[in-house]
Amino acid sequence: MIRFLAARLAAYVPTLFAISIILFLAIHVAPGSPAQVSLGINATPEAIERFEREHGLDRPLYEQYVSWLYEVLKGDFGESLQSGAPVGPELLSRLYVTLELAILAFIIANLIAVPLGCLAAYHHQRTVDNTFIFLATLMGSMPNFWLATLLILLLTVTLGWLPSGGYVPLGEAPLENLRLMIMPALSLGVVSSALLLRIMRTGMLEVFSSDYIRTAVAKGAGQRVVIWRHALRNALIPYLTVGGVEFSLLFGGVVIVENIFLLPGVGQLALIGITQRDYPYLLASVLLIAVVVLTANLIVDVLAAWLDPRVVRTAGGS
Amino acid sequence: MGKHFPWRRYGLLIIGATLTLALILLAALAPWLTPFSPYEINIPDRLQGPSAVHWLGTDELGRDTFTRTVYAGRISLMVGAVAVGIGIFGGILIGLTSAYFGGAYDMIFMRNMDMLYAFPAILLAIVIMAGLGTSMINAMIAIGIIFIPGFARLARATTQVVLRQQFVEAALTTGMSTRRLLFREILPNIATPLMVQGAIGFAYAVLIESALSFLGLGAQPPEPSWGEMINSGRGQMAQAPWLGIVPGAAIFLSVLGFNTLGDGLRDFFDPHLRD
Repeated sequence: MIRFLAARLAAYVPTLFAISIILFLAIHVAPGSPAQVSLGINATPEAIERFEREHGLDRPLYEQYVSWLYEVLKGDFGESLQSGAPVGPELLSRLYVTLELAILAFIIANLIAVPLGCLAAYHHQRTVDNTFIFLATLMGSMPNFWLATLLILLLTVTLGWLPSGGYVPLGEAPLENLRLMIMPALSLGVVSSALLLRIMRTGMLEVFSSDYIRTAVAKGAGQRVVIWRHALRNALIPYLTVGGVEFSLLFGGVVIVENIFLLPGVGQLALIGITQRDYPYLLASVLLIAVVVLTANLIVDVLAAWLDPRVVRTAGGS
Repeated sequence: MGKHFPWRRYGLLIIGATLTLALILLAALAPWLTPFSPYEINIPDRLQGPSAVHWLGTDELGRDTFTRTVYAGRISLMVGAVAVGIGIFGGILIGLTSAYFGGAYDMIFMRNMDMLYAFPAILLAIVIMAGLGTSMINAMIAIGIIFIPGFARLARATTQVVLRQQFVEAALTTGMSTRRLLFREILPNIATPLMVQGAIGFAYAVLIESALSFLGLGAQPPEPSWGEMINSGRGQMAQAPWLGIVPGAAIFLSVLGFNTLGDGLRDFFDPHLRD
């Protein structure tokens, strides 16, 4: 177990380094310069040169990378090239927004996937099963930005129940915060539930056909006890692994939904970083998402190993 | 009817193939299906509701929604073809050779693939687009690159199974060259799972392309693209809801079609995989 953990942790840090290097390279070979965006199309060559010298953009790439990395390791993500605002505090305040969105969406996805997946497995190859599988296929084929558009059309434009976008912190006005979060979380969560539902169903089917469930039924345990006490618990192991990956995908997928609902989250910051060539924003936000994704995957690996020791024996040793 | 026809085996394949074929036909026959141009601006006709002339209404510049939707289908299909092509080609190259040579070669490539695989696709696409610059061609390349790890893992896993079979040993004894063995003997044996994955890849390509275009990072106006159409339609949601509904339904049905086709192909070739 310790060796397994060490191997996973050892892969974590180099992966982050690799991502940061690739990101840095990608950004700096990109066409269009931050100076151009900041100073406008009528900027003189001298002004552009001055801007680039002031922000250190005229130095060789590796020098820029090393000094950026040095500052990041000290906890300083630099300043925005366009507004001059420090990136760190901006990033932190946006992390709360994105985390809340991802967690709410994840809860919604599970609230749909677990009961429907169990029911589908219980009614294997009957109408209920077929209906839910069909439903999962429909939900999984739906682009989240289209679902978001339809939700706005229904709940904002037609019924006028919810505001179309915006954000207030959870601490300031919890109710208003939830009203603003419900549509973005639904558009992400419903789409994510498709895969989870399938995994839940397959997991339950496997457990249902195992010996100990037959034993439990044979000794006269009631249906409810069999499903909730014996089956669900064991079916949750494979589900958990996929669930963790799904959460990290959710977290990475917030870019579009944040953009639609005007949520000031990390994904929106990444988009601002690209469209305005504001590299410090882009670097910081993508790296933060990478950290969350990798951490979620790491937690899932460890949890799976803890729940099922066979995982360590097959995957961890080498 | 259900008693005689094996719906369990062919049902998904038929639904998927029908949807996919409909998409291909609509896109291919676009110029003959509509008298309008997807680009021509016609302000007097702006924001008209669905009618006999404009089946699905017009947008804020008076362009016919049906016309733009079918023309955008061409772009989506092209993106899907190029991206899946890049993904399959790169994936086969890396996966086959990794499985065959093994050792450090295998480890270095597959570790990198795992790293890419763990990253959310849309974010990866955005990062690659940041490097390449925003255009349709670059979106195709970016999506193709994203597909490589998935295909590489699949190609590697299936090749490892094939390598243990006797005909490989036989081919090796006859002194067949490595290249011939890999691409003439092993490749046909791993083609089926790659094809299934390819169909599902088309679905993802359509989804990611429309997401990029929605964000303004893919197809640039006035080029018709489903993602871009939804995005510009959002401003007219109250007066012209069809502008958001129609291109989204097109994405939805295409993705559904390709996904079902993939599942159908899997059921058809390997009924054991279905539960």
